[in-house]
Amino acid sequence: MTQVLSNFIKALRASDVRVSTAESIDAAAALALVGFEHRTLIKEALGQVLAKTPDDKSRFNDCFERFFTFEDLAGDSAPGDEQATGDDQREGAPGEDGGQGGSGGGGDGGLAAMLERGDGPALQQALASAARNVQLQNIRLFTQRGMYIRRILEDMGIEPLDDLLFALLKANDDDPRALRLKEQKARLVENVAGLVDRQMLMYTANAWPKLREEVLQKTPLARIEIRDFKVMQELVRKLAKRLVSLHSRRRHVSKRGQLDVRHTIRKNIEYDGLLFDTVWKRVRVDRPKVIAVCDVSGSVAQVARFLLLFLYSVAEVLPKVRAFAFSSHLGEVTGLFESKPVEDAVVETINTYGMGSTDYGGALAELERLTLADIDQRTTVIILGDARSNYGDAGERSLRRIHERARRVLWLNPEPMAFWNSGDSEMQKLGAACDKVESCRTLKHLERVVSEIARTAI
Amino acid sequence: MSTANPTAALAALADIQRGFQSSGYIASDAIATCVYIAQALSKPILVEGPPGVGKTELANATAKLLDKPLIRLQCYEGLDESKALYEWKYGKQLLYTQVLKEKLGDLMQGAQGLKESIARLHEFDDTFFNEEFLEPRPLLKALWAPQGAVLLIDEIDKSDQEFEAFLLELLQDYQISIPEIGTVKAKQPPVVFLTSNNTREIGDALKRRCLHLYIPFPDAKLEQRIIESRVPALEAGLRTQLVAFVQSLRGLDLKKVPAVSETIDWARTLLLLHAAELEPALVRQTLNVLLKFQDDIEHVDAEVPALTRQAAKNA
Repeated sequence: MTQVLSNFIKALRASDVRVSTAESIDAAAALALVGFEHRTLIKEALGQVLAKTPDDKSRFNDCFERFFTFEDLAGDSAPGDEQATGDDQREGAPGEDGGQGGSGGGGDGGLAAMLERGDGPALQQALASAARNVQLQNIRLFTQRGMYIRRILEDMGIEPLDDLLFALLKANDDDPRALRLKEQKARLVENVAGLVDRQMLMYTANAWPKLREEVLQKTPLARIEIRDFKVMQELVRKLAKRLVSLHSRRRHVSKRGQLDVRHTIRKNIEYDGLLFDTVWKRVRVDRPKVIAVCDVSGSVAQVARFLLLFLYSVAEVLPKVRAFAFSSHLGEVTGLFESKPVEDAVVETINTYGMGSTDYGGALAELERLTLADIDQRTTVIILGDARSNYGDAGERSLRRIHERARRVLWLNPEPMAFWNSGDSEMQKLGAACDKVESCRTLKHLERVVSEIARTAI
Repeated sequence: MSTANPTAALAALADIQRGFQSSGYIASDAIATCVYIAQALSKPILVEGPPGVGKTELANATAKLLDKPLIRLQCYEGLDESKALYEWKYGKQLLYTQVLKEKLGDLMQGAQGLKESIARLHEFDDTFFNEEFLEPRPLLKALWAPQGAVLLIDEIDKSDQEFEAFLLELLQDYQISIPEIGTVKAKQPPVVFLTSNNTREIGDALKRRCLHLYIPFPDAKLEQRIIESRVPALEAGLRTQLVAFVQSLRGLDLKKVPAVSETIDWARTLLLLHAAELEPALVRQTLNVLLKFQDDIEHVDAEVPALTRQAAKNA
């Protein structure tokens, strides 16, 4: 039974339910407690031990239903009324450990006899043990489907059956026994294929999305296609959630206070040194102000889209974000993001500001005019752009003035570093007025940048 | 590994359900299974679900069922170990030192110099730091309970993350470390319930140590049984109507949907008003028992006649 349980847990993990080793031990203990007879009882018990969020619960239910399905292998040919007992009958579940015999878990008559008897339970068992012998749980790709079907059939003893069929048909072209057997064999093959398909679905259901997410994280954002946007947004949200939980914890800590002896004494001088009014040490919760300035022209727009999505998804740790967008002229889009769902706001921003040739000189001057009064030593300015100013003014003087007042200025360039300073790129001039210049092409880069900003929130 | 005895398990479940019922708590199969497993494996239970479905009540009922005292710890932000676990009785310690001042003089008599005095004092070192001067708070009380106890840690999601981490030792081994005394182990492992309304995500480490029980809103049948057991005087016809009405309310888009506890309150209210059946006017008057937001009441108000009619039809 442990084998079955560990396979089930494997299937659970494949469908994105996190199961720790300790929990699998608990599951085994719970299973030993409730027994294997009552399906609903097992389901309740395992559900409480293994699935611990509402999401997990629904995934667990799906997985349980799929994993513990059996169908009547005997089919309708002979509804097992004639006492369907194999040599040793076990319960309907995919068997306990044992029956390790190389070929055919069935009785002495082998597969043919089982089929002819219409012995559903024995067939079911033979199938389960064959599946175990060929380690069906390791199936990963749909191209392996045929191979596994063949292996299971071989393990169940299809070869002697074929030989028998061949011999029968050779003797008599339409021997009724042979014909019936042939039909039953076809049904068996179909059942095996069904089993393999189900298993494949179960163990690989989540492998694809996972792989896709992994690849997407490393794909340059500019090259991501429209059809992947949904997945990307989901992904951004996931990453943002992780960042929030990572950084909000630290803020909790900083809320606590300790007696500040120095300040207490100083403050109580007026009471003749009696420590009357206590002062507590507080770690100041430094909520950073973030000003995000995004070039939304052409290929940079894609990266800007996800940066904005990111910044507004971590609103819990970064409560004060002002966003600006520009190509030919610059404007503030903060209000847009506050009034609309992030996705819609992003699209509208790009539609409004995205049409035009980039003018860094004008944009940075405008930014200076709009925000300089608001920038202080807590402000982080993030500028996202390729610094390609169409041979116009780069605006580095404005940027330098912003830099002088801000806590720091980050420049994120979606181009690979090798392309910087080529053609009309003004990276060298503008980069000199920044604290940090980074190439930021993929979601992974973005995550790192946002995480770093959030870290200084403490 | 087939030591399992499924019939025994089923019998135990039926026992638990019967026991709960006698104390007026109607438990679904899931709840009974959970309590059974938790006891057998001595694991804490983390109960989640919308407010008012009887999470806290479950602990009460279990305490009655097992005939053990219920020890309750209400969590809130800023709860720390001095409030949850133990505290020294500072006042008593101070008082004793005052009273014993003269005795101290006797003790010190004949001591040569500071060194010897301190050496003598060391002999009485732990007098003031023993269990006599310990004020047990809920967690320690639960560990000390000679016959075991049912420990309810209510609304764990309201506490800080630090407190949650602090609980891990208790939940894993039913023991706790007090620096001045050492490790206190439970005389009899308590049955622990933790409840959460999901105002924040509970940590994985805590979840891993618990069984997870999700109690959803009951279906109509179960809710009727609950009302029957809680408000037995209510007429059967009205009861079915009332449950049908509440169930349909839960389908609406409300700020806060009525929970089981509100259904019970409403049933009591109707009983008090000697209502014979649901009428729109009556429902309107008593809607504030069910719904706790003015927005919701206004929203439902218009639909009361239709809902009442439907409830009468479904019943």
